[in-house]
Amino acid sequence: MKKLSFITHRVLKAGLISALAAFISSCGWIDTELNVNPDEPGDVPMSLLVPGIQQNMGFILMGNNSVRTTNMWMQLYDGVSRQSHSEARYQLTPADVNNYWQSLYTEELMNAKILTDKAVEEGSPHNEGLGKILTAYSLAVATDLFGDIPYSDALKGAEGVMQAKYDTQEQIYNTIFSLLDDAIAKLGAAEEPVGIEGDVIYGGDAAAWINAARAIKARAELQLSKQNGTTAYNNALALVDAFSSSADDMEVPFETANPNPVFQFMQDRTDIRICQTWLDELESTNDPRIPFYVALDENGEYTGSEAGAENEAASYLGDYMAGNTAPVVLMSYAELKFIEAEAALMTGDADRAATAYKAGVAASVAKVTGAANQEWLDANIETETGGTITLEKIIMQKRHALVGQVQPFSDWRRTGIPTLSLVIGATTTEVPRRFPYSQEEIIYNPDNVPSYGTITNRVWWDQ
Amino acid sequence: MKRFVFVLSLLFFAGFALLRGQGVQVTGTVTSAEDGAPLPGVSVVVQGTTIGAVTDFGGNYSITVPDPSAVLMFSFVGMITQEIPVEGRNEIDVVLEPSALELEEVVVTALGMTRTEKSLGYGVQTVESEEISTANTADVINAINARTAGVQITSSAGTPGASTFMTIRGAASILGNNEPLFVIDGMPIVTGEGENLETNRDPYSTGNTSLSSRSIDLNPEDIASMTVLKGGAATALYGLRAANGAIIITTKSGETATKKMQVDFHTSVGFDQISQVPPMQRQFAQGNNGEWVSGFQRSWGPNVDTLQYDTTTDPDYKWDENGMIVGQSHPNANGIPVKTYDHYDFFQTGMTFNNRLSVRAGTDAASYYFSVADLEQTGIVPNSYFGRTNARLNSSARLTNWMKVSTNMAYSNSRATQIQTGSNTSGVMLGLVRTPPTFDNAQLYEFPDGTQRTYRHGGGYDNPYWTANKNSVNENTDRFIGNAILNFMFTDWFSASYNLGIDTYTMQLKNIVAVNSRTAPPGTIEERDRTSTQINSDLLLNFEKSFGELDASLTLGNNFFSTGWKEVWGDAYGLEIPGFYHLSNSSDNQTGTETDDKYRTAAVFADLQLALMDMIYLGATGRNDWSTTMPEDNLSAFYPSVSLGFIFTELGPLQDNNILSFGKLRGSWAKTANIAEPYNTASTYALASALDGWVNTGVTFPYQGVTAFDVGYTLGNPNLRHETMKSFEVGADIRFLNNRLGVDVAYFKNTNTDLLLDVPLAQSCGYGQIYQNAGEMESKGIEVSANARILEGQFKWEVMANFTQIDNMVISLAEGVESVFLSGFVDPQVRAVAGQSYGSIYGWDWYRDPDTGETLINDDPSDALRDGYPMTNFLHVALGDINPDWTANLTNTFSYKGVRLSFLIDIRRGGLMYNGTASAMNYMGTHERTVNREVYYTPEGTIDFDKTPEENLVVFDGVYGHVDADGNPVSSGVENVTPVVLDEDWFEGYGSNFGNGPSLFALEPTDWLRLREITLAYSIPVQRRIFQMAEVYFTGRNLLLFTPYTGIDPETNLEGAINGQGMDYFNMPGTKTYTVGVRLSF
Repeated sequence: MKKLSFITHRVLKAGLISALAAFISSCGWIDTELNVNPDEPGDVPMSLLVPGIQQNMGFILMGNNSVRTTNMWMQLYDGVSRQSHSEARYQLTPADVNNYWQSLYTEELMNAKILTDKAVEEGSPHNEGLGKILTAYSLAVATDLFGDIPYSDALKGAEGVMQAKYDTQEQIYNTIFSLLDDAIAKLGAAEEPVGIEGDVIYGGDAAAWINAARAIKARAELQLSKQNGTTAYNNALALVDAFSSSADDMEVPFETANPNPVFQFMQDRTDIRICQTWLDELESTNDPRIPFYVALDENGEYTGSEAGAENEAASYLGDYMAGNTAPVVLMSYAELKFIEAEAALMTGDADRAATAYKAGVAASVAKVTGAANQEWLDANIETETGGTITLEKIIMQKRHALVGQVQPFSDWRRTGIPTLSLVIGATTTEVPRRFPYSQEEIIYNPDNVPSYGTITNRVWWDQ
Repeated sequence: MKRFVFVLSLLFFAGFALLRGQGVQVTGTVTSAEDGAPLPGVSVVVQGTTIGAVTDFGGNYSITVPDPSAVLMFSFVGMITQEIPVEGRNEIDVVLEPSALELEEVVVTALGMTRTEKSLGYGVQTVESEEISTANTADVINAINARTAGVQITSSAGTPGASTFMTIRGAASILGNNEPLFVIDGMPIVTGEGENLETNRDPYSTGNTSLSSRSIDLNPEDIASMTVLKGGAATALYGLRAANGAIIITTKSGETATKKMQVDFHTSVGFDQISQVPPMQRQFAQGNNGEWVSGFQRSWGPNVDTLQYDTTTDPDYKWDENGMIVGQSHPNANGIPVKTYDHYDFFQTGMTFNNRLSVRAGTDAASYYFSVADLEQTGIVPNSYFGRTNARLNSSARLTNWMKVSTNMAYSNSRATQIQTGSNTSGVMLGLVRTPPTFDNAQLYEFPDGTQRTYRHGGGYDNPYWTANKNSVNENTDRFIGNAILNFMFTDWFSASYNLGIDTYTMQLKNIVAVNSRTAPPGTIEERDRTSTQINSDLLLNFEKSFGELDASLTLGNNFFSTGWKEVWGDAYGLEIPGFYHLSNSSDNQTGTETDDKYRTAAVFADLQLALMDMIYLGATGRNDWSTTMPEDNLSAFYPSVSLGFIFTELGPLQDNNILSFGKLRGSWAKTANIAEPYNTASTYALASALDGWVNTGVTFPYQGVTAFDVGYTLGNPNLRHETMKSFEVGADIRFLNNRLGVDVAYFKNTNTDLLLDVPLAQSCGYGQIYQNAGEMESKGIEVSANARILEGQFKWEVMANFTQIDNMVISLAEGVESVFLSGFVDPQVRAVAGQSYGSIYGWDWYRDPDTGETLINDDPSDALRDGYPMTNFLHVALGDINPDWTANLTNTFSYKGVRLSFLIDIRRGGLMYNGTASAMNYMGTHERTVNREVYYTPEGTIDFDKTPEENLVVFDGVYGHVDADGNPVSSGVENVTPVVLDEDWFEGYGSNFGNGPSLFALEPTDWLRLREITLAYSIPVQRRIFQMAEVYFTGRNLLLFTPYTGIDPETNLEGAINGQGMDYFNMPGTKTYTVGVRLSF
């Protein structure tokens, strides 16, 4: 017995020490609260969603990839080195658009959907309208580049729909129109408790957003000109009064701490130059916008790189497109004037076309240069009349005004203006007319991605 | 049969023995003949009875024998059993001799339990201290490279402090951590974090700097042994943390030392030199189309033999101190032929000074081991550096006969200066191997106005000297690893231990990018502070009992574990004061953020071991784990294992056989598991930002005076389950000729199901990925280890060899997901692909004949492509995989008197690596392969065969064909005979992956045969009164390398210690190391 108690004594003593240590350490040890992410909130208010969507639209949707590639294809820019040279030579592979597609769906569209849903839930018609405009704008840019894209079945990952079906481009355009109509109605609704906050484009001004919705709609109507003909022009004409001056322009601002995307590209990669084709067009009239569009080269001159010639000594992009804090233009008064000009001309009102054309050029010149440049306008633009105006003149000036945006690529596809020769070292036999789908979409949504053939094939409205 | 009868009779007589009543008390002390230290835990049994006792920590025992003529049996693992007749004595001291039989060697297994190797039902391998110490590698993991079977180790670069990637028996996880668990004296420690630093300001560049793996904090000299636990059965007791195998490290102690203090001093100096590098051409100058173009990106200019300098035209020409380069017939040519430069002169001889001192002593009551060490290493890249200071105190005290307390405490300070590498505009190799042969980077890297002198006139990439002198990443890590262990020996059959430990470190990292650096021209500074703390508590209760010839032991245990780190990060972009590297130094662009990663687990477990007649060993374990990272209703998982060892040479007819001296068959099965990473059960919002892959910084918030969040890229998943790994292993350990020759063969198969991974989603669903149980993988393989003492006596020759063949298959990923990305570029990519080996390489290929697979050679004169050349198909297809077919290593050790020579040969067969460096060099016209470039054309534009040198003509293998308007390949089936030249157009187009060529032909085999290590040591006969031992040695590492790989040493990886291996894109070269050392004991 003595031995046993001896053991018991030891066990008790040791057991006590161990049990105490174990007890101290075990109190609430498996606490599931520990698995709540301390770095990322589970929910955020609408006012913190709005600026994120808008920044992405400025930086990616209309900022860099889509703009650089299509402006090179349109021979406004030239890619003189590395991947930019490949793209300038019409080589754009599915993997090259991964980042763009990712941002489009997981940033712009997804967060705009969350914003819209929250607005409905919290009874905020103005935020709902804003969410729909941002959605419609993103869809429009995307479908113009990709053709058929997913929407009605998309953005439903949280509901278990991981492989979205694709809508036809026609369906997407119907969606765009109905989203914009709905947004115009919602933004016109009575004062609401919440209001738009965090809006870096119009500072929460509902009336300005109604105008923007109408302007976006005007562009969308015109985009269907090949399909809808006169109807497209008439529909557009009903909307071209959306903006009354360049002060109404829809722009995403940039700042020193968050610089313009093309500025960043030129700083980090430097592989883009002004294309000789465009420089020739500008120099033919000694366009006053040249110093703002084209930077001086090392010799203090304006030089272009002949498309595909890899001329690294050519001029960099000017500050209008590539300035440190240059805003990214999503929609402009000048564009509406050119829409008006084209639609009026095509529906037989040449005088209105000439007037709108002159207003469009003047607006662009004033916006780009900060001065009226009346002398140059008088000599080169103001002479235009209903008798002399042509579609070519309108589209060429529209191209000069909308450089750095995606629209020149759409206008070229719609009108064939300007006539472009193949770039040196072209990897395809025609100038491309669309983007490929992203590699990741092809891999992870294989049953739904439409086969698009090659990038020289045409989207629905281009047929 | 004889044994069986014996067992029966034992059981029969046991009853009588108990009836006999009081006998004679015998006491005494058992010590080891090796070092005179007392031996605790020695079993003392009265022969023919069940009467027994166990020695306490002081080696003391006390036993009551039934009569004075009894015989006492003293047995202990690793010692020869002694039978001593009592002969009426009351006090018997015993000295046990170590067993010569290696099988009796004690190995440390899971949770620090020691077992004889022969009793294990699974395979383990141990590396001893001397091998680790002599290797003299800063990171202890590199010291065991090629010393075992089934373990793959890849050092990412030859630069000081570079990370090291390690797997045991292949990958067990698809995207998660595949590195084994490291346990040091029972305390699990942090060893990972060796991924490369991808700065937040430049997330799309790849490589950057190779941060250290945290295993580098250990002082290799402190290690007594490292045991590699490979299979599931070996690691089952570690539960969820050891799914990738475990490395069990035991540090030195004073317990086996004599009472006299022993001092060990070890000093060494090492020299590092670059091993192989991609060869560069020195025949053609900077430029384009055979014309000299100052500042041009590429080297497709004129033959340097035709060039001279011109100091007249532009006297202020600042890019070359010799003047502008012009043709020799230029009016201003000054008659001085243009020089070419060996750009690899940039690299220097690295030096390592390593000093280690330890003191140890032990008495019956207490012991200690104290060590200090300092390592100072400069690298092959100027200004690269690694330094480490270590101190350790291991001590133990026997408080009573039945209680012992031990503490192990280690402090380390590791500090490194890392230089930019890989695919970023500041990468050393990137700028270096693109430089034209006519541009001397070394002339000057910074102009007086602070701008940079580069071969691209300030654009493009950093001058490597600029990178090395102006930009750096400085790491500084202070770390403490310590634990306290209480051991209780209650009775001869019941003991317990409690082990509480902590591993905590603070890493401070400063990343400097000077103003006018290409990566961030306005300059940027980044500061990161990481604090990591890991706490572990183990309580073990051990019950041991012999029932005649059946020895049983049962361990019950409990574990609490907590791990986590927090990183606070800040940066300033656009430095107002050049050279002042402080977060305050920016007027409007500073950002900061924080990241956490924490979780806890708890577990209870049991381990039952049965040994029957020293012949059959049966083990079973069970463990239940709870983890905070799992969903609330799925916190727990249970992991069982069983193992069986059968020593067939104990069977009657095979006993005492000198030819087949030992034979064991073993088999085991285990189910282990792994948990989810923290914070994956719910979707969250993150600070918004925009980045498109083309720019370094992008935009973020605050912006325009507001902040913003956007929904996370990863969709949260509340339905997570544990990953499960079932592992199965069979093996045989057979020894011949009195154990002079031994072979161990193992076959294993691990099946991993429900693997957790970020499953990529079609982004049109609104999310980029979901973390879910999706994957299934299988790895199976064969490991063979052999050792032989070929010559014994004065001249000794020992051979050790290991062979490993592992097949690591991805069975399936998520539904609808065929592959996931591990690392790489647009082309190629290393992926995990369902139905293929883990680590498949995907990328572009040539267009091929749809039927025969032969390369199509263009014959369509109507298209823009040139006839006679193959064409790139811009579709990702499987191109091969990164894994070796097998690896083997062989160590020969010769010793004669005091001289010892050993060399370790390391062989790897199979596996591909992307030589992106060479591919880009082809595009740039700097690789030696581009030297046969001169071609002459006829007026019609075809090759002039009379003028063009014959060696410049190439006929591609393949058949004529073209690609039709729909993008489909059309083959003529006719073999290509059109000669073409590999000229600038070719290398800038389809002839280089950097142009538009497929990565297929940038993939190169990584087979190698290398002299991994050679050591020549001489033990100096010493005056015993002063020195106990004195040794001088020379060690060389990687002195010989035979490989078809044409780039740097193929033991490398671009992104450091990550799963996506097999990428070489301007990686830092590997090294050859020569070390001389002296060891003294006194």
